[in-house]
Amino acid sequence: MAASTAVGSFPSPYEVETPPGCEGWEDMYPYYGRFDEDRRETDERRFWFWNSMHFPVPMPAFDAICIDTAYQALGSWQNRVFAVPPAMGIDWRCINGYIYISGNPVLDPDKIAERAGHFQKRAGYYYENWNELYGKWRTKMEALIAELDELRVPELGEYEPDEVAFGDQETSYCAVLEAYRRALRLADLMWQHHFEFLLLGYGAYMTFAEHCKANLPDIPDQHIAQMVAGLDVLLFKPDAELRRLARLAIDTGVDAAFVEGRSPEEIDAALAESAAGRAWLAELEKVKDPWFHMATGDGLYHTYGSWLDDPRIPYASLIGHIAALNAGEDIERPSDHIAAERERLAAEYGALLGDDARKGFEELLALSRTVFPYVEEHKFICDYWFLTSWWNKIREFGDLLVAHGFLEERDDIFQLSRLEVYSALDELLLTWATGGQPRGPKYWPPIVARRRELLARLADWTPPPAVGAVPEAVLDPALIMLWGVTTQRVHAWARHQEGGSELTGTAASPGVVEGVARVVKTVGEIGDVREGEILVCSITSPAWAPIFSKIQAAVTDIGGVMSHAAIVCREYALPAVVGTGRATSQIKTGQRIRVDGTAGTVAILE
Amino acid sequence: MSAAGRTLRLVELRSGHSGSFGGKSSTLGELMAAGIPVPPGFAVSTDAFRAFVAEAGLDGMIAAELERMAPGDVDSVGAASHAISQAMRFAPVPEAVRDEVAERYAELAEECGVAEPPVAVRSSALGEDSQDATFAGQQETYLWVRGADHVCDAVRDCWVSLYSPPAMTYRARLRSGEGEPAMGVAVQLMVDAEVSGVMFTCNPVSGDPSMVAVNASWGLGLAVVGGEVTPDDYLVSKVTKEIVREHVHAKDVQYVPDAGGRGAVRVSVAEERRAIACLDRTALDALVDVAGRVERYFGSHQDVEWVIARGSELPESLFVVQSRPVTALPRSGGKPTATSAMALVMNAFGAGEPKG
Repeated sequence: MAASTAVGSFPSPYEVETPPGCEGWEDMYPYYGRFDEDRRETDERRFWFWNSMHFPVPMPAFDAICIDTAYQALGSWQNRVFAVPPAMGIDWRCINGYIYISGNPVLDPDKIAERAGHFQKRAGYYYENWNELYGKWRTKMEALIAELDELRVPELGEYEPDEVAFGDQETSYCAVLEAYRRALRLADLMWQHHFEFLLLGYGAYMTFAEHCKANLPDIPDQHIAQMVAGLDVLLFKPDAELRRLARLAIDTGVDAAFVEGRSPEEIDAALAESAAGRAWLAELEKVKDPWFHMATGDGLYHTYGSWLDDPRIPYASLIGHIAALNAGEDIERPSDHIAAERERLAAEYGALLGDDARKGFEELLALSRTVFPYVEEHKFICDYWFLTSWWNKIREFGDLLVAHGFLEERDDIFQLSRLEVYSALDELLLTWATGGQPRGPKYWPPIVARRRELLARLADWTPPPAVGAVPEAVLDPALIMLWGVTTQRVHAWARHQEGGSELTGTAASPGVVEGVARVVKTVGEIGDVREGEILVCSITSPAWAPIFSKIQAAVTDIGGVMSHAAIVCREYALPAVVGTGRATSQIKTGQRIRVDGTAGTVAILE
Repeated sequence: MSAAGRTLRLVELRSGHSGSFGGKSSTLGELMAAGIPVPPGFAVSTDAFRAFVAEAGLDGMIAAELERMAPGDVDSVGAASHAISQAMRFAPVPEAVRDEVAERYAELAEECGVAEPPVAVRSSALGEDSQDATFAGQQETYLWVRGADHVCDAVRDCWVSLYSPPAMTYRARLRSGEGEPAMGVAVQLMVDAEVSGVMFTCNPVSGDPSMVAVNASWGLGLAVVGGEVTPDDYLVSKVTKEIVREHVHAKDVQYVPDAGGRGAVRVSVAEERRAIACLDRTALDALVDVAGRVERYFGSHQDVEWVIARGSELPESLFVVQSRPVTALPRSGGKPTATSAMALVMNAFGAGEPKG
């Protein structure tokens, strides 16, 4: 991409300063993840944007696996399997703990033509056989999650178990390292599966959306989504189960246990006192696998747990549902109405089009409906179910290192890179075997402490939305489809680089609202959100459901109208502006802002 | 039809009358036939105009002025226009036409139960309101006219407007060689508009056929049509009736009936009403409903003038006062030529057929 200064500029990645007291942050990340002098010539001329959609806060060393393995998988499918003609994969670099990414374009027309041949053949095969291939995918993912559940982290006792002495079992050194390697491999495989359908799924949906907008320029995005969206969506299943349990609680007369303000433990204790309550708890247990694998946040960090890890969110929903039911409200998703409306919209919009446009419309709608289950379901299966379980598996290795003094607490493991963990385990097993004195207990804790301090300090630093050159045009389909990073968006970032009191983004959900901003940078801060505030965050998530009933509008740094986040925002009928690039850095909690979800602007009023 | 046949009730008109009564009047008749609420009234034919010119003996004078006029010369056109207009203003409306208009006006008075009902008198030119050309400069409107004599005067003023400089220039440019122009006139019961405006049965800016675009302001329609206020601006989905876009602007002025009972005057809008939306959900629903009916009836996108009457309830208070086909819709450029889903998806990934 050629550089252009006409539309403003971004800072050079080499001129961004390290915040005071954060020296040495680079040591948390691999050598290839920095803006180093060796590549200055090329890196400085490239366009890099902060991937705040997936990495809104500074990256813990271990969590960087979600960059490496994710981008190897995206690159493999996009570049080496499907050979998307104009774009290879994504490169990443880290600045002060924040992750910047840049696409690798294909510029040679002959190469693009060659890749187009591959793409048509391979992607065409996938589209043609989608349902069959996606059926296999579900099986693969379920097998992967089962394998993760079964993976045992061996303990290190005083002696090797009998099975080593009397059987063929391998020694603990081999067994622990093998378990760790398998854990890493399972993550590699999850990401491989994750990206198998992602680009093609989003691509089909986006082509439908573009086709609608070319022929019906003012069609609200929500109508496009409504025409495509599945009726039996996996992501809504967990809440559907909670509604069922709420009804069950009322029907069996145990609803009095669900009192606002009670903790999940207190509610469980109250239920355990009666037979009906115990029956209800047994029913709850059946629901937990898999539906309580719903994540409490939408992110690729170890800090995002599931409802199993933090049952306060589902219990709060249960209390809300039961109160609503007792007040005579209807809490069901009106699925008959949704189904009828989906068909009515499709028929009426189709009828407004000319013959050629209607043919494309109908075929693309059918294709989008075919691919959409994947788009909706992979999030629950990969990002929520697998990933929250996987972080917990890694915590078991943390326990092992804590047990032998290498770490002070289990979550310290996430302050080491995945290769450093390997190294620590290696030394632990070596010295456990030899009876020698390990260096780890002296070596790792200060590193962990320093990194925790670094992450806390870096969290206060505000990353620029982009660094490097301003591209004349964004042509990479992956950047456009997955991140909503379009030419227009990037140029708006560049123009607003100097600051100003108005932010522009994508109008994601209509309406105009004025109110007090609440900037939420991590999922842990969700509890701070007060009734009637305007949520300002990097990206909203369906898993944040409980706060959507409190807020009156949402503003995000990044994201397009395609993200599930935007769709859910519209489901709550909240004005929303997404993809502002810098809302969390420009807006401070407590400021009055005006969100115009119709025009896509956010004004800071004071 | 009355003896001379130079007037008809609007409700009797159909598109076939456009040659004898002009486009506006015949369209109003069609709208009534479609069951669209249109204020009642009557139309004056182009024959009445011809009779006027003939009886006053203006044929020769007009021909001479046109002969002398240099169409490209502003001063020359102005001089011809002035001479013809002056002559027409002092010429009497033929007795027979006066009687017919008075008779129709009396009928209208009886129909609405008001002694001297206020009416709007508008020109209804031949070829006007056609889908092929937006006919500039011949659209005179006289509002809140009362009494048969005043109606006749307003009818004559409409005829005079046929020789305004822009109208003459326009004809000279587009219709040279055709016979002499003629003009019909529509006389319609005045609606005391609380709100009025214009709507398109598509978005005229983007060309989106699923939208109704509404402009609205306080008072009579003059302020919106004449561009004297920035109207409230709505974009409403035909499919879901959702308000997709809503811009409320400060509407400083409005036209209201003159306190003396004749004519419309421009007044300031009360401070507290300027910045508030002049349409609500109910009004927009009624408008979108009517837009759909008008569009379906004519089978093409329409540009509709409407008013909401003071003192009654929606939907009964909504009236259409004019409709014409939308011309010059934008064609969204650069539309992909591919129509199969797979070809479109391939394009999105940059794997379409090579260009050129």
